[in-house]
Amino acid sequence: MTGVVLAATVGALFALGTFLLLRRDLIRVVWGLAIISQAANVYLLAMAGIAPATADSVPILAGHGENVPVTADPLVQALVLTAIVIGFGMTAFALVLSYRVYEEHDTLDVTELGDRE
Amino acid sequence: MTMTTTTAMPVGTESQLVIAPMLIVLAAAVGSLLLGRHPRTRAAVSLAAGAAYAVAVAAIDWYIVLAPDAPGIATYQVGDWPAPFGITLVADGLSAFMLTMVAVLGVASLVFSTRHLPGGEGRSYYFPLFHFLALGVTGAFLTGDLFNLFVWFEVMLMASYVFVAYSGGPQHTRAAFWYVTLNLLASAVFLLGVGGIYATTGTLNMADLAQRLADPAAYGLEPVPVVGLLGLLLSVFAIKAGLVPFQFWIPTAYRAAPPQITALLAGATKKVGIYAIIRLSFTVFAGAEVAVDLQLPVLDAAIAGESPLPFVGTALFLMAAASILVGGIGAVGRDSMEGVFAYSSIGQVGFIAIPVAIAATTIDPTLRQFAIVAALVYALNHTLAKGLLFLAVGTVRAATGTSRFADLGGMAKRSPPLAIAVFVGSLALVGIPPLSGFFGKFLVFDAAARARAGPVIVLLLVGSLLTIAYATRLWNQSFWGAETDAVETATVDSVQVIVLVVLAAAIVTVGVGFDPVYEFAETAAEAALDTEGYVDAVDPTEPSELAPSSGGDH
Repeated sequence: MTGVVLAATVGALFALGTFLLLRRDLIRVVWGLAIISQAANVYLLAMAGIAPATADSVPILAGHGENVPVTADPLVQALVLTAIVIGFGMTAFALVLSYRVYEEHDTLDVTELGDRE
Repeated sequence: MTMTTTTAMPVGTESQLVIAPMLIVLAAAVGSLLLGRHPRTRAAVSLAAGAAYAVAVAAIDWYIVLAPDAPGIATYQVGDWPAPFGITLVADGLSAFMLTMVAVLGVASLVFSTRHLPGGEGRSYYFPLFHFLALGVTGAFLTGDLFNLFVWFEVMLMASYVFVAYSGGPQHTRAAFWYVTLNLLASAVFLLGVGGIYATTGTLNMADLAQRLADPAAYGLEPVPVVGLLGLLLSVFAIKAGLVPFQFWIPTAYRAAPPQITALLAGATKKVGIYAIIRLSFTVFAGAEVAVDLQLPVLDAAIAGESPLPFVGTALFLMAAASILVGGIGAVGRDSMEGVFAYSSIGQVGFIAIPVAIAATTIDPTLRQFAIVAALVYALNHTLAKGLLFLAVGTVRAATGTSRFADLGGMAKRSPPLAIAVFVGSLALVGIPPLSGFFGKFLVFDAAARARAGPVIVLLLVGSLLTIAYATRLWNQSFWGAETDAVETATVDSVQVIVLVVLAAAIVTVGVGFDPVYEFAETAAEAALDTEGYVDAVDPTEPSELAPSSGGDH
């Protein structure tokens, strides 16, 4: 059941992100990017499996002996943490860039930007 | 049996060499950032770091790959964690070959940059960003881990985003915005591929991955989804390499970035895409036993057996063919120097991808290795020639303030050495002997002929004719004819011209003394195909082999 919910959430996030990415307003495009990168993070987290894991199913836990409690796969969490940080920086950069586009073109509308070539 | 597998591996000089180039550029990036207020010291530190980087890469080339008693491959386990758990850096022939190209072009571009820094307020960040770009490229070539490949891609891209937006101006900002958007989207797709591969195989270490895919039954995994995931990754790498249909960002981004950075974008970061395709397809995924029923009639070579390679080959072939045509035809119609070279870059990367596609579809191991050699030699030629030509655009722009054909003409009279260097670079693109381009093109044609792929040869011929057309047109429009006003008042920077002449000399030297270059490329191709050697060197420990007590060590 959790799996279905998770899959639906990831799918919905991707759909929303794509929808925003195709808007004319640059800020919405940045929002779309941010949502898509979060969707990728949730997906990555889900890829470790959502059932409780033990030393048998998680390779990195096997190296730590018998006394491993039932826990989630720590590897994907480390990966997602890295991905979140990167995605965060990128979103900030995209926002700053759209602000500069606004300063230089006086508009955030994609079609108007295209007309001015 | 405790952690003998790790402690038995000596942390020798070779092992430390692997990480040396990365440490050097990282230190240079931080150092030049701190020296923001001292432009001269900053430039000097950057140049010294560039030289040190070149020395470190040369040491890797010699002590790890080329010396008679060299091991051929060396690894560095960060923090001394054993392989599938820790971060592994691997230097083998293929990485070394790629690093060498970056080192040569990077030093040329650095020397060039000390003469003329583009941009106003952002100037003090130029060198730190340059080093971060180099750090990302170096990390991508050396990493032995799929997720770290993603991280290094991001490091490289972050620097390149800023460079594309660097010069300011409405056009450039807009180009940068689309460039950033496209690449962020690609990063998300990259993560999807990485996550899927982790879910399918339970590992992200490339050596461990290769080992598991070669024997899926022993690890209880189902390798079929790997083909689709490889397809996802392939599209990401194709974006970096600028293969059609992912080429649309190239012309605007290349026009927006400063010329000396465009030289690096075309010469180095593009090659990261090619490198990743070769490394993942041949070293990592080649052994996966998956039946792929996908054949192109034009590639007559027998399709590689049960492996995802035919899929890679077919996809690459289609993209490469389209790239050659789109790039060539696009380049003929441009009205500025960098426009021509940007489109030419799209076409030339097709010439690199064609032999890779041939290597992926053939089952003949000799032809496979030969085709990869052809791709590598062509990539080397493209790095040298296109690097030279983009730097020449910088010189022309710095001297005349323009690079549009309408305002240029008679540059040959104004600065003969500059004209000769550009002439040599253009001839190398066309493929005239005895330049490096001749061997590149010859080997690509030879690989197509050996694969008995007639239509491919026709395609390559068309591409070559288009190259001749735009190279001639560019030469006639900007270097021949009467001097325009802009050219008459131009003062050409002598140091920049010296850099160009040195690069032109390098193109001639590679062409004349081709044997060692060919041998190096051959070693690189061998390394790319030697999955077993790669796995042995990285030596991924099995979880079951780790004794329970070993966990306490950390």
